[in-house]
Amino acid sequence: MTTDVEKFGTRNWGMIADLDKCTGCQACVLACQAENNIPINTEDRVERARSISWIRVERYWEGDFPDTKARFIPIMCQHCENAPCEPVCPVYASYHNSEGLNVQVYNRCVGTRYCANACPYIVRFFNYWDPVWPESLRNHLNPDVTIRSRGIMEKCSFCIQRINRTSRKAKSEGRELEDGEIQTACSAACGTHGIVFGDLNDPESRVSKLRNHKRAFTLLEQFGTDPNVIYLAKIDPNKKGSEEGHH
Amino acid sequence: MKINRREFLSLTGKSAAGAMIFAACGLPEKELIVQSPVGYPEDLVRGEDAWYATSMPDYANGDGVIVRVVQGRATKVEGNPDHPINRGVATARYDSTLQILYHPDRIKEPLSRYSKSGNVINVSWNKATNDLRNMIRDSKDKITIVTNPLRSHSSYVSSEFAKKFGAKNMYFDPINQNTQQHTLKRIFDLDRLPHFDIENSQTILSFGADWLSTWYSPAQYNEMYGAFREGNGGERGYFVHVDPRMSNTAASADLWLSPIPGTESDLALGIAYEIITNNLVEEKFINQFLSVIDFNLNEYSTSIVAKKCDISEEKIKETAKHFAKHTPSIAFGGGSSEAHTNGTFTTTAIYCLNILTNSINTKGGIIPNPESVLPKINSTATGNSLADWENEINRWSNGEVKTLIIRGADILHGMPEFTGIKEAISKVENVVCFGQVYNDTMDYADLILPEDTCFESWDTNIPEPAPGYQVLGTQQPIVGQTMTSDGSGVISNSKSFGDLILQISKDLGENIGNDMESMIKGDLKELHGNVSDGSIISNSSDNFTNGILQRGGWWNLSNKNKNFKLSTKGISSIKSNSDFSSIDHHSDEEQNSGDKHHSSDFFLAPFISNSILDGRLAYAPWAQQTPDPISSASWSTWVEINSHQAEDLNIREGDILQIASSNGSIEALAYPHPGIRPGVIGVPIGQGNKNGGRYAEGRGSNVLSILANMRDSESGALAWAATKVTVSKTGNRRKVPKMEGDVEARPVEPGVPVLVVSPNETAKEAQEHNHHQYQKELFEKKDSKSKSDH
Repeated sequence: MTTDVEKFGTRNWGMIADLDKCTGCQACVLACQAENNIPINTEDRVERARSISWIRVERYWEGDFPDTKARFIPIMCQHCENAPCEPVCPVYASYHNSEGLNVQVYNRCVGTRYCANACPYIVRFFNYWDPVWPESLRNHLNPDVTIRSRGIMEKCSFCIQRINRTSRKAKSEGRELEDGEIQTACSAACGTHGIVFGDLNDPESRVSKLRNHKRAFTLLEQFGTDPNVIYLAKIDPNKKGSEEGHH
Repeated sequence: MKINRREFLSLTGKSAAGAMIFAACGLPEKELIVQSPVGYPEDLVRGEDAWYATSMPDYANGDGVIVRVVQGRATKVEGNPDHPINRGVATARYDSTLQILYHPDRIKEPLSRYSKSGNVINVSWNKATNDLRNMIRDSKDKITIVTNPLRSHSSYVSSEFAKKFGAKNMYFDPINQNTQQHTLKRIFDLDRLPHFDIENSQTILSFGADWLSTWYSPAQYNEMYGAFREGNGGERGYFVHVDPRMSNTAASADLWLSPIPGTESDLALGIAYEIITNNLVEEKFINQFLSVIDFNLNEYSTSIVAKKCDISEEKIKETAKHFAKHTPSIAFGGGSSEAHTNGTFTTTAIYCLNILTNSINTKGGIIPNPESVLPKINSTATGNSLADWENEINRWSNGEVKTLIIRGADILHGMPEFTGIKEAISKVENVVCFGQVYNDTMDYADLILPEDTCFESWDTNIPEPAPGYQVLGTQQPIVGQTMTSDGSGVISNSKSFGDLILQISKDLGENIGNDMESMIKGDLKELHGNVSDGSIISNSSDNFTNGILQRGGWWNLSNKNKNFKLSTKGISSIKSNSDFSSIDHHSDEEQNSGDKHHSSDFFLAPFISNSILDGRLAYAPWAQQTPDPISSASWSTWVEINSHQAEDLNIREGDILQIASSNGSIEALAYPHPGIRPGVIGVPIGQGNKNGGRYAEGRGSNVLSILANMRDSESGALAWAATKVTVSKTGNRRKVPKMEGDVEARPVEPGVPVLVVSPNETAKEAQEHNHHQYQKELFEKKDSKSKSDH
């Protein structure tokens, strides 16, 4: 049996999202939009359910007035170890890299959208149109991130450009990366420090410690996708515990 | 065995045979990993980037930010990890500021209007400056200068200018906090907003204020909320929020209480009654509390309050118990709870709860803030009250104001129509507006001056509330003027508001300072001589100044408000005023004549948008597209209405509703949901701009325009949550532009999209429990079906 290090090289990037801290504030959503040159989701695109949002905060209602609860959950590419989007791509545009990332190769993508069909988390987005920014707004585009053209599938990359930039900086300074040194746009923006990014291969990293938290779970575990995004369950002090439930 | 990609593809095409060959050869796994063959931008490090520390006043309450600049262009805004206010975190507004900086409809050159009804034309800065200089010279003692509430060198310049030229300073904030600040001064003698020590609290009881989204300092509060949830104060904190509408903040609460609007004071006193009658806190604190009220607390017994507020007695008792027993606890409020005609009484009742738990000037409670470290700069600012504004608008109508200078405030959009502002401003001879994008007020301006954004100009920002100690944020130009892509000119030939006022003052013989940069640097050097400790320590004043600019400000953890002493002598007696008159009554005739489909009286609960705020960021497409946390709607104005009530009224999502008050009507899209009290409708503020560039213009409705003329009797503040409206269907429908429903839910277990655990439960136990529950329900359904079949 191979170890994680043999499987992924020295790093295996992962993310923790603590639902007990998520306030649904949308800071992560906008930070991602700005960092990754995501086209403007115009009103027309939103109405036609064609908006692109590499990370979104879903809100679910529970109960009825006056005992209504709103539950928030940020959803982004889960960077699955057994990613259902990868084997269905006829041109290998979707592949797993040596650091545990599920990566999209834009210039291979021919737009079959099989990957989007296969993804149970619905986090892959198709560019139905060429991205358009008014000339002056092009000034704020991130030069580190490819602008995707029409007909291309895209999704969360765990801010791979930040991983590369920070890793090379550490290498040029002749030192190892420190835990927490690499921040994705969403984790940097999170108002409550509820999103944590790091190396799951490093047993001392925060993500490694939190993945063993008693509240840790993954989405759609029954599918066996083995995601690298791990959630910590929301705590509700008014909820009856399982010991009061089904026994 | 080596294998190239072509061979690999060929082999895999042979399906099972291919797999067998691989297995037999024991091909190293690495060989099969198909890596990207080309260098993408993501794979390359292109040049050096620089991160500059600065602060943002207009969209972020003076939060400290760092801005990434690549080849002279600002590309990303993040929280400054060093800054004590937001400690690295961001809000959903930070990056939208970039789109104001590079807005395609930024005002390029000064604009002048030759007659009140004429069009504007481009003029040179020379002419614009000359015109402004002449206006000021000819209007001495008849000038009003209007800004948003500022705590900065700009506010110093503005107030000095007012002194030198006999002008009047007015501050405009459409949703101001006059009542709460009036109360804090009255009962605790606090001159400025205190620090709410959320991170060290064990119980938070908040009323009305949407503090996790838009109230005062959301970045600071969010950061502390994270620590509160993690159990910084001991164990995981318990949070109760009171608001008739489920706001972003209410959605994060452990217990949401939704009283009838205007009865928040009863609820606060009902909680006090419960604590006192059950002796849940020490007797000395009970006596202290009782010594400051001059009414019979028995009028606020749990049963009476439960009935009046329409909140269950159990919930009131539970809240009282948590608040009293799980200390340190903190009670605070504002927002919609203070925006009724009994706002002062309500906020007094709320803040006095802290007496019962000894939460004033204690860890995990309300911490008084110190005065500004630079005496010339105010550490507090709030918008003028409605009463002040009515006086001022009268002055305009009466010709007492000849020149009106407006900066950072779209008063025509933000002021309710009943004030008669449109007619009044038309009578002012010279109206001068500063801004980045053409707004509604500029339709009445004779001179429009393109203003620098906070990323292009020098300033300082004193955050309010401070974190319990002195903080001074610095703002520096992190980019210069940006050239257009064809190189023909700049995106905006803008100037700094402060610099222009300084220059004109100097031209007219009143020297306030040379320019903002030298004034700020001079003051920082002076600060160097006055302080011996703090975040920057240096022997050289130049190094000290540079250190402050590099770090984004100066702060000193030990410079606290040491003079504050809580004394009941300083607290005026609280008189009961729970009979609020917050209803704008319609006549029966009005109610019946409105709509042939359905009509009913509703409390109108306007709320500040999480992304476009009060309209300040409506110009930015990112702010427009950001889904609202509760409705997930964007790009529009919607009406939140209780789903059951909507069903009764046959209102469906997307129905275009007319909302009518005694002061007019607006239209908005229906969005029914279960998180709002029946009889209340929530409408976001910020849209309905007549101007505002391609992304804001003509979009949605301006709910502020129909507010009723009601105010808090003591503070004179607009009672903006007290309007009563009728709601009727127009018969038209439109899809609500929203994110919800774009994708299907992905349940952890069927019917459980978000896993929730009780405090001692593990995720696995909760999942198993959900699974059993689901199977049980499934079998019950099958059983009942088979019985009914038989």
